[in-house]
Amino acid sequence: MITRRKTSLLLQRGTLYLALVVSSILMIVPFYWAVITSLKLEGFVYSNPPQWWPNPLTFFHYVEITTKLSFLRYFSNSLFVAGSITLAHVFFDTLAAYAFAKLRFPGRDRIFFIMLLGLMVPFQVNLIPMYRIMSSLRWLDTYAALIVPQLTSIFGIFLMRQYIQSIPDELLDAARIDGCNEFNVFRRVILPLAIPGIATLVIFIFMGAWSDFLWPRLVTSSNNMFTLQVGLAQLQMKNTSNITQIMAGTVTTALPMILVYLLMQRRFIEGITAGAVKG
Amino acid sequence: MTNTFIMRAAREIRKHHLAYLFIAVPVVSSIVFLLIPMLTSLWWSFNDYSGLQPAKFIGLQNYIKLLTDDTIFLHALRNTTLFVLMGMSIGPTLGLITAIMLNQNIRLRTIFRTAYFLPVMTSMVVVATVWMMLYNQNGLFNTVLTNLGLGTVGWLSDPKWTLVSIVLASIWQGFGFETVVYLAALQDIPKELYEAAMIDGASAWQRFWTVTLPGLRSVVLFVYVYGIIGSYQVFDQVFVMTSGGPVYSSTSIVYYLYTRFQNLRLGYSSAIAYILFVILVLFSYLQMRLSRERE
Repeated sequence: MITRRKTSLLLQRGTLYLALVVSSILMIVPFYWAVITSLKLEGFVYSNPPQWWPNPLTFFHYVEITTKLSFLRYFSNSLFVAGSITLAHVFFDTLAAYAFAKLRFPGRDRIFFIMLLGLMVPFQVNLIPMYRIMSSLRWLDTYAALIVPQLTSIFGIFLMRQYIQSIPDELLDAARIDGCNEFNVFRRVILPLAIPGIATLVIFIFMGAWSDFLWPRLVTSSNNMFTLQVGLAQLQMKNTSNITQIMAGTVTTALPMILVYLLMQRRFIEGITAGAVKG
Repeated sequence: MTNTFIMRAAREIRKHHLAYLFIAVPVVSSIVFLLIPMLTSLWWSFNDYSGLQPAKFIGLQNYIKLLTDDTIFLHALRNTTLFVLMGMSIGPTLGLITAIMLNQNIRLRTIFRTAYFLPVMTSMVVVATVWMMLYNQNGLFNTVLTNLGLGTVGWLSDPKWTLVSIVLASIWQGFGFETVVYLAALQDIPKELYEAAMIDGASAWQRFWTVTLPGLRSVVLFVYVYGIIGSYQVFDQVFVMTSGGPVYSSTSIVYYLYTRFQNLRLGYSSAIAYILFVILVLFSYLQMRLSRERE
């Protein structure tokens, strides 16, 4: 009886691990295939049986996309745009969240409620008038169009407000008694204490800005203003047959976020789940 | 006495003055980049407007045409709804199953979790280019199918398959998010509830229905509502992988909106945006009702 129970338990564990291993491998295959394709020579891409390891192995396509194509430029554009947007959010969202969470002023709750309603509006509703605004400001095809409309977000304010509300008022009062004005309370007390919340905010905003496609695609038109996503999509559409080159571009576009994730995995998972539950 | 009162009032005003300053940028930004565009496109949706000639008021005609006469839009509405239905019936389920597997007492949990979650870290454009390679007529999928003696599939060229192909790639990209969210929620369910159920002699299946699912209720609601709202806005994959084709078999609402915009049908595409808006508001309302019912 006991041994039968043991074997059934063993069988259960075995099935569990089998399912975990097989599904994980299936998840990784597309990544693996993208990487090795980028390292193959053109003629070996669609061979049958499939070539599971590049032979000969070449880094030529990476040289190509950084020297012949503008992937370095796209990369720095993406970094600059996503970085500026993220920094702006950390400052403006947290500052506004502090006001909504801890300061008393006439109209506070009404303003916050109206802004929350704005969360329901899908971006597509604003897309076309926004494009016209950019065009009348002569911002099309400049960094301003990529950055300025995204300096703050209601989602970010909401997230940070939840977080700041949990900071005890006594700490703020203590700082006020020490002669801090509200901005210094924000700088000296709120910002340092809100760091875990800010980490969540940074993750969401940076990921969103880095992956954004529709808006950058709409407002940029010249090659040296493209972000990675736009540049990659453009390469894909212009040059469908050169799959090795496209894969080199794809890996270059995907790698930064994957590396950041692998380095800060715990922060990420905590941030994502906190954002999902609170946001 | 009056002196201190005045000082206090002045201090109060100064305090408010700073608070208004703190919220100034988000408020102005919401007015300029949210409220004004929103009202503008609402107005345009009642107009025949190309952006070049002055707008001509035509009442509800854009909406009537879209909902009764425009077969491409009706196609897009159907495609998008099918995309949502297929994605939502598979993605969150996979997320729940993998979360339950990861929640067992297992080794190497981080590695398995990384495997499920890594695609979430990649953009839709990246996912689209990778899967286009896999879906190629001579790509990995067809090679494997041929070697198994199953013949090839026109993943992105056969109108019967395009939508399914886009759904598969999207599920691969997204379900790891649900895995992680469900896993966090599972770990919040008190162990004592399971122990109590065990003492009562509940089977694993009964424990799942009576302890696990009720414990996940609010997270399940979140996952489905936000999943549905996000999926209804599908665009990037369609843009890169199929450009809506062949024969509109993969045209989504937002992709159609985009093409109408490119053709300078500004009024018409604004009406499309507002139809999408109404659909999303309905789901948000549903969520509010359901989560209120819970309390």
